Amino acid sequence: MKYRRTVALLLGATCLSAPTVWAASCCGGGSATSMIMPKFAKAMIDVSLDAENYNGYWDADGNYREDPPGSDLNQYRLNLGYAYRLASRWQTSVVLPYVWNSNQYAGLSSNTQGLGDMKLNLVYEAFDGIKCVWKVRKPEDLIPAVYYGLSLTVPTGISPYDDVDNSFDITGRGFYRLDANVLLDKTIYPWNVSLLFAYGKYLERSVNREYGNYVEPYSKQLGDRVQATATFGYTYFLEEMDTLTFSLAYSYLQEDAGTIDGRTDPSSMMEKNSIATTVAYSTMDRDWVVKGTWSHSEPDSGWGKNFPVTDIITMGVSYVFR
Amino acid sequence: MSFAKLILFAMILQLAACGGGVTDDLLPSGEDKRPDVEPGSVGTQVGQLSPDFNVQDTLDNSHMLSTELVSADAVVLYFTMWCPICDSHTSHMRSTIIPDFPNVRFFLVDYVSGSISASRAAQLSNGYATSTVFVDTHQTLFNLYNASMGTVVVIDSTGIVQMNEDYKDGVKLRQTLDALP
Repeated sequence: MKYRRTVALLLGATCLSAPTVWAASCCGGGSATSMIMPKFAKAMIDVSLDAENYNGYWDADGNYREDPPGSDLNQYRLNLGYAYRLASRWQTSVVLPYVWNSNQYAGLSSNTQGLGDMKLNLVYEAFDGIKCVWKVRKPEDLIPAVYYGLSLTVPTGISPYDDVDNSFDITGRGFYRLDANVLLDKTIYPWNVSLLFAYGKYLERSVNREYGNYVEPYSKQLGDRVQATATFGYTYFLEEMDTLTFSLAYSYLQEDAGTIDGRTDPSSMMEKNSIATTVAYSTMDRDWVVKGTWSHSEPDSGWGKNFPVTDIITMGVSYVFR
Repeated sequence: MSFAKLILFAMILQLAACGGGVTDDLLPSGEDKRPDVEPGSVGTQVGQLSPDFNVQDTLDNSHMLSTELVSADAVVLYFTMWCPICDSHTSHMRSTIIPDFPNVRFFLVDYVSGSISASRAAQLSNGYATSTVFVDTHQTLFNLYNASMGTVVVIDSTGIVQMNEDYKDGVKLRQTLDALP
């Protein structure tokens, strides 16, 4: 029997998943939105586990709607990340998620798993020295660390267009996407502020199958995507200079309507607002970072459109090679 | 560091193997691979004669396909699980397509709620009180039409399936209804 479930519920994992819990700001140890390894580090390994719970959705008008009674929708993702320094200002990284879906939706129940969409990143650091300061003594001390990044999402996950019998199997969106990212990160101890802006463009693709059924071929392209995240953090120094960093972030995500054979597909646009709080522990040398993040979307009208409301708890650990 | 890289690479390979390896999405195909259909045969693919069915709606009324088709140009089934995309599709269909085809019967098929009462509650809470919702308690229609979330099926007055695929932007549904015999 084929159980088909909402793509949108699963999109939460595959298109909105928070970046892997990267280790640090340019100084190491740092902020919630940093996607990069610290300056002067040679490489980094990052492992994190997301637990995402679904709690209703916003319809296309932004009205909040609850899931049917008795629903319990969850997705768990194990993210493996590896970053490597190519040159003094260049670094690259790869993140590969593995996804478990555990769902009770009205009268349906399902537990499935599979590889998620892989992400390849290339980052240019527009600075040479550490930009974290203890005190502002001259105007240059206010200059933030600026990163320019390119990310390619590779559809290694299981999408509705794969040979799947069961939509509960879906772990990816099925499209390549290229993102341009800019990250500004400034630490004046003990405070940290970072701003992340990302613009993504999906590549158009052919579709000749939907949920395992061959259909008349058509071309499809998802809409352009904008993400902006602002993070504000405070670092508390423990004994022996280990640190605890507390961060609060606000994130806005929007995806325009896509196209089908060049026509606008009004059902595909979406929008999501969320807030996140992070606690990160870092050793004195900033080589080890352990992070916990809670990302929350408000189950209330006006916080999103055409998308499920979710809470995501992420636990991660990373290690930097010097 | 090289050891760590090796471990990570091995883990990625292992995960890829667990996940079924490379998927068709990496190299999408635009080739038409729909199976050939023998005209007049009974089935749920486009061009086939739809099997008859009998199903209850959320008001406990009984609906038989053949009966509905007697007085309608066509029957349209939309398979919903009351999700964001389903809502987007049905809202679009309700506002832009249904008014233009007064002699076509449009039905939502709830294949997830599992009971008339639960389905009625979902129908009301999602704002579809005026729609007729079939309660596909045992997923009979869902399996019969090999459906999925968002599948729309059009059966013309002669019982022939004219469309059976995802709603997408509704253009295909409109074209299908415009071309009804």
